[in-house]
Amino acid sequence: MLSAPTKSVRTKVLRVVLVTATLALLISGAAMVFYELQDFRNTWVNDLSAQADVIGLAAAPALQFEDPKAARDYLALLQAKPNITSAAIYTANGSLFASYSATGEDVSFPRLPDVDGHHVVENELVLFRRIVAGGEIVGTVGLRAHYDLSGRLLDYVGILGAIMVLSLIGAALVSHRLQRSITEPISAVTSVARTVLETRDFALRAPKTTNDEIGLLVDAFNDMLDELGHRAEVLEQSNEQLERQALERRRAEEALAAGQRRNRTLIDAMTQVVWRANNSGLFTGEQSGWAKYTGQSRNEYLGLGWRLAFAEEARDRLDLAWSRASASRETFELEARLWHAPSESYRLVRLRAVPVLSGDAEIVEWMGAISDVEDQRRAELELRTLNAELEDRVVARTQALEAANKELESFSYSVSHDLRAPLRAISGFSNLLWEDHKDHLDEEAKRKLGIIRGQAERMGQLIDDLLTFSRFGRKAIEPSELDMVDLAKNTFQRLHNGSEGNSIEFNVGRLPSATADRSLLEQVWCNLLSNAIKFSSQRDKPVVEVGGIVEEDENIYYVRDNGAGFDPRYRDKLFGVFQRLHDESEFPGTGVGLALVHRIITRHGGRIWADSQPGDGATFHFSLPREARHG
Amino acid sequence: MDEYQQVEILLVDDSPLDAELAMRGLQEHNLANNIVWVKDGEQALDYVYRRGDFKGREGSGPRLILLDLKMPKVDGIEVTRVLKGDEQTRHIPIVIMTSSREERDISQSYSFGANSYIVKPLDFESLANVASQAGYYWLAINRAPSS
Repeated sequence: MLSAPTKSVRTKVLRVVLVTATLALLISGAAMVFYELQDFRNTWVNDLSAQADVIGLAAAPALQFEDPKAARDYLALLQAKPNITSAAIYTANGSLFASYSATGEDVSFPRLPDVDGHHVVENELVLFRRIVAGGEIVGTVGLRAHYDLSGRLLDYVGILGAIMVLSLIGAALVSHRLQRSITEPISAVTSVARTVLETRDFALRAPKTTNDEIGLLVDAFNDMLDELGHRAEVLEQSNEQLERQALERRRAEEALAAGQRRNRTLIDAMTQVVWRANNSGLFTGEQSGWAKYTGQSRNEYLGLGWRLAFAEEARDRLDLAWSRASASRETFELEARLWHAPSESYRLVRLRAVPVLSGDAEIVEWMGAISDVEDQRRAELELRTLNAELEDRVVARTQALEAANKELESFSYSVSHDLRAPLRAISGFSNLLWEDHKDHLDEEAKRKLGIIRGQAERMGQLIDDLLTFSRFGRKAIEPSELDMVDLAKNTFQRLHNGSEGNSIEFNVGRLPSATADRSLLEQVWCNLLSNAIKFSSQRDKPVVEVGGIVEEDENIYYVRDNGAGFDPRYRDKLFGVFQRLHDESEFPGTGVGLALVHRIITRHGGRIWADSQPGDGATFHFSLPREARHG
Repeated sequence: MDEYQQVEILLVDDSPLDAELAMRGLQEHNLANNIVWVKDGEQALDYVYRRGDFKGREGSGPRLILLDLKMPKVDGIEVTRVLKGDEQTRHIPIVIMTSSREERDISQSYSFGANSYIVKPLDFESLANVASQAGYYWLAINRAPSS
């Protein structure tokens, strides 16, 4: 960038005004000083000349009478003129007659007078005048005076400088005022121009404030904006038009491409064989597709020969359909088996024949297509068969499942009735044996009889438990809102009243209510609490504690005892049917209770787990989903 | 007390062992003066209706029927259904004896009108209760159908 254009108009105008003012002042000042100096010099010379003439006039008698003393007195009068530093009077023949010095010092006036006139020696003006008396030159007066030209000059320059400074300030102020009236409209134009550039809003106008050249400039600018706006509008319109045209063209191209695609697809969809026949259904011309598919030669298919390529059983149907379509002049479709030369077999095809009608609705010729639908039909058939098979299998499975369920039910029914009958006999008759014959039995016999009775009873218990397990395992879940605190407390009361031994400390914590099957959950509490009671019964101070935690999507409950506990290595075995971790003699039980609890909780969509250390009590946790599940 | 002694009990059970145990229990509770044991439902109905083997039998009754459920030929449910459906016999108390607490058995028995339900092996205390209630029942209605 050049430096000049970056300076603002404002600065330029100011500079022009100042430079002009300065130049004018300098020139006029210099002229005035020159004139003043000339004038000073002339005045001073005239003044001195008049002084010299006065002294000469006064000193003339003294010269005539050769009285130097009188001449010196006259000269001494010059003391009133401090500028005159020294003076001298010469006789007519040129010798020094009298002299004067303002300082009283000896002044080295030249021995001889100079010619009339004046000259400047250093800072002094020296002047000589002839003394004329009675038409005769009687002598010469010489004066020497201060001639302070430089002092004078300094004064002038000083005054001139002050004037210049003042007038420049004035000029600056005036020009500042003036230039606002010029630059402000220009600035306005500039800012409008910038806004237009940025926003492309050609409707903006610069405000016109004056009617001078700047006003004209604003007008010209606004006119230009008008023109620009108009041009832009036209340009935009033509752009839009171009875009529209491009879009239309693109659409047309797409439509064209789609049309071409459709045609191709149509041709493909028309499948392998396209044929033509005359209005009577005779093949007349070349039928290359037909020949390729059926393997018929031209001579074979010409006329009605093409019919023979269809399987025999299809020909009558074909003739019928054709004659009907001829009568009604309508398109007809038919599926029939057609000889397929490449595979040397009949294949199912769909024949479609379209009559081409003349202006008076007479059939001109037939156009037709043949699609091979053998594979499609076979696939459909296979699919149908498969579906049917699948349905059959599902039905069979369901029946098998139902049968199995029934069987299981009748099995458990038989178990409960028939398996118990012999047991009842064993138990009942050993009781009778005991009652009727115990007096005749020795101790050993009594012991053995006791074992039989006990084990029969245990077997009965096992069967009962197993049946319970099976029954509850199959029972439909009927969920309802359960107060778990009530349930746990009541169950504990019921169990504890029936048990002997130490009284048990039972602590009930917070138990969130559950949505579950009441009878099943009762069974859960019953089994878990009876376990806890059983396994803590040998403690001095048995403690059973129940509590619960509300989690995000499930409630967790626990039953804790301070009883015998179990080895955590076997925790996986806890919930299996007939699995026991303790000796029967120590803690009686059948090993079904926890399996049942596990089953019930799992069927409710919950989980169950246990923590323990041998001798350190056990904690059984189970969770139930917050939203009830049916299953 | 006489009425009570006269209570005739028809015991219907296909298992002789169970029957023996039951009769033994009834004896011990002084309820065994007049027990008739039949082996299945068909015989039970014959006895009540005095037909077949029991055609022209002596005596009245029975005044209480102890009925096993699972029996060959005619089972206990069927016997209950027939007797409770008959105006002549429906007042005879029927106590079902069964080996199980299968809900199916219980509900079926009651739906056909059984008066009580005892699980084998028989709890003789409750049986005695039922029997004496049956006795009082007869006392209360005073007259058995004399036919």
